Amino acid sequence: MENVVVDALLGIAVAAELVCVLGFVLMRTVYDRLHYVGAATSVAPFLILAALITREGLTSETADAIAAVALLFLVNPTLVHATARAARRLDAGGAETPPDPEE
Amino acid sequence: MNAFTIAGTILLAGFLPLGAVAVFSREIDGLAALQLCGALATLVLLCLGEGFHRSAYFDVPVITAAATWIGGMIFVRFFGRYV
Repeated sequence: MENVVVDALLGIAVAAELVCVLGFVLMRTVYDRLHYVGAATSVAPFLILAALITREGLTSETADAIAAVALLFLVNPTLVHATARAARRLDAGGAETPPDPEE
Repeated sequence: MNAFTIAGTILLAGFLPLGAVAVFSREIDGLAALQLCGALATLVLLCLGEGFHRSAYFDVPVITAAATWIGGMIFVRFFGRYV
């Protein structure tokens, strides 16, 4: 029974992640693509973590996995937001010429 | 082979289309692809760490998740200003 649950969780996680990759590739603008970056860090990681906890229980390995998934889930949205702001600035023509290190 | 190594190996295939986007699209799209690659790499390393039953391997995805964020923020900082 435990193996079935782990296999099902891993299967759904892999499918969710591949759907995110597919969506990312098929979308045209960076803003649409960033939606899939956000989805990739909020669904599949928890399913893989659930599979891991189902298999191993609460051990030091699963504590590391919880830390990795928490980092992905909590800090990646700030990165997505910052990327969207940078893209908007580029689209608005707000980029500057980089400073010349010789001067 | 077990379910975790199979899942990790299948997830590795996701790098190919993302690499193509990074090469052939705008720079900012490539940056978004790089961020997705970082999340994917974290999950691959989690799966392979469990698949190989090595507790030391579980430190790597934590570092990967942190490095993805730090590296992404540095890229975004300069992309937003100069590209």
